[in-house]
Amino acid sequence: MAVGTDFPPLPAALRASRPSERRGVRRDQVRLLVVDRQAEAVRHSRFDRLGDFLGAGDMLVVNSSRVLPAAVRAVRASGQLVQLRPCVRRAGSWDALAVEPGPPFENVPLTEGETLRMGEVAVRVVGRRWDIPLLWQLRIDSGDDLDAILRHGEPIRYSYVPEPLPLDAYQTVYASRPGSAEAPSAGRPLTWELLARLRRLGVGLAEVVLHTGLSSFQDDDFDAEHHLFEEWFEVSRETACAVSGARRVVAVGTTVVRALETAASWEGRVLPAQGWTRLAIGPDRPPRAVDALLTGLHEPQASHFGLLRGFVGESLLRRAYAEAVERGYLWHEFGDSALII
Amino acid sequence: MRKSRPRPNHMSMNQLQGKIALVTGASKGLGRAIGLAFARDGAALALCARGEVPLEAMAAECRGLGADVLAVTADVADPADRERLISHTLARFGRIDVLVNNASTLGPTPLPLLADTDPEAFEEVVRVNLIAPFLLARSVIGGMLLRGSGAVINLSSDAAVNGYPGWGGYSAAKAGLDAVSRVWSAELAESGVTVVSVDPGDMDTEMHRAALPEDDPTALARPEDVAPAFVRLALGGAPAARVEAKDLLEEAAR
Repeated sequence: MAVGTDFPPLPAALRASRPSERRGVRRDQVRLLVVDRQAEAVRHSRFDRLGDFLGAGDMLVVNSSRVLPAAVRAVRASGQLVQLRPCVRRAGSWDALAVEPGPPFENVPLTEGETLRMGEVAVRVVGRRWDIPLLWQLRIDSGDDLDAILRHGEPIRYSYVPEPLPLDAYQTVYASRPGSAEAPSAGRPLTWELLARLRRLGVGLAEVVLHTGLSSFQDDDFDAEHHLFEEWFEVSRETACAVSGARRVVAVGTTVVRALETAASWEGRVLPAQGWTRLAIGPDRPPRAVDALLTGLHEPQASHFGLLRGFVGESLLRRAYAEAVERGYLWHEFGDSALII
Repeated sequence: MRKSRPRPNHMSMNQLQGKIALVTGASKGLGRAIGLAFARDGAALALCARGEVPLEAMAAECRGLGADVLAVTADVADPADRERLISHTLARFGRIDVLVNNASTLGPTPLPLLADTDPEAFEEVVRVNLIAPFLLARSVIGGMLLRGSGAVINLSSDAAVNGYPGWGGYSAAKAGLDAVSRVWSAELAESGVTVVSVDPGDMDTEMHRAALPEDDPTALARPEDVAPAFVRLALGGAPAARVEAKDLLEEAAR
């Protein structure tokens, strides 16, 4: 499905190249584009004024997955260095992208049967995924793959971020269980100061875990086809309960939407669940359990916009995008935010 | 330095059953004693130290007490090692309920006067004794706040509040750590998460012998005598942002 291909392209200058705090702006003081569906209005605010739009009985649900340094240096038998980016991690195996170790991180063809080493950990190429052929199926032959990632990895970085950044720059303030290949960045602007203020307003806080895969396969044509892959998630009993009693469920990020909606029944009742999800939210499968969305801004061509269409009608989405571009909102994981209520 | 000999207390009440505790500097001295006390009291443990062999020996001892143990060889002053420690612990146990920032360094011994202190040695002491505990705590406190419970225990010293000649770097770092505990404690009031600095008092440890070789070790408390005080702190029962272990033990004995 071609998503948002007829949107005007995003000016390159609007791609945030570094974290807000390195631009002299606190994490929680990035701009906030508010899309009010009922009033069919687009408003402009600041992230730390989130309390103006939320209130008692609302339940903010965050993704507490911790980002891994998932661009992992590996050595082929020939001695060639490659970077492995695990998209799907299971016990004993990875579905991973293999790219060159530096920009522009072009895909590197591996050979079936070959062994690569990440320090003491050896992985064997057993094939390609039939549905996403750019992902190599790797078997962990020996060693602790999490340790290999932590010892030999760095955060996955795209071309609009010119300088390598420490992992900490990508983590949310509540990051807990490690497993995401890329930052669940919608929650990055949240600070404990702001969360405490929201709590005083009667806004609840609950967590889910969804370990993110890759947002790009380093191939524009391939990315445009929006290949869907599975991501591991968990919705705890406590969260299912908290969400059920909420006036409005406000998902912090599309990963939270995916987790909650996977765990939701036909009537929109969220039940405790864990496992793998391939659910795609969009106009054909609108959200049943999530009432509002706090999100980062991503390219109109990204699958992210498909999910947004599950929340917002086409004309309002176009108006919001146009206003955000016109007012110079910054895009991507270090950029500004949007609230859809 | 102050001398005191608290009463030993090896009573186990399984108060830490179901809790996940991360203890740094866990292979010897007080860290080892705290780890063993937590293991006896039912906690699951992530243990960290720089030396693999003594750490594995400690882990085996805790497993012998029935504890579920993860041992991570890491230097807390190294950012990548810290991330490895936190990520392995969270991957294995899903959460961290108690962090004991025990790993500490004296710097070069015999202890030099401040005016003679090598700048790099001073920075190293601050890195290990102040910055590392702060950043480790910062990594785990977010998860604790999400759950509304948790305890961070920072190991301090009476050197943090007294001007002992030769203890300059150590004193400065521990005083800084006390300040971190105090401010955090105020910021997190009512959150269910406690942050406390503990002065364990003088004990017969390798570090104490290196710092004060002239002290009679038999007159000093043993780490295992002091460790039970930490069980109460692990349960969030700190009466103030800075406590002395002997007070906790005396109070428990009354």
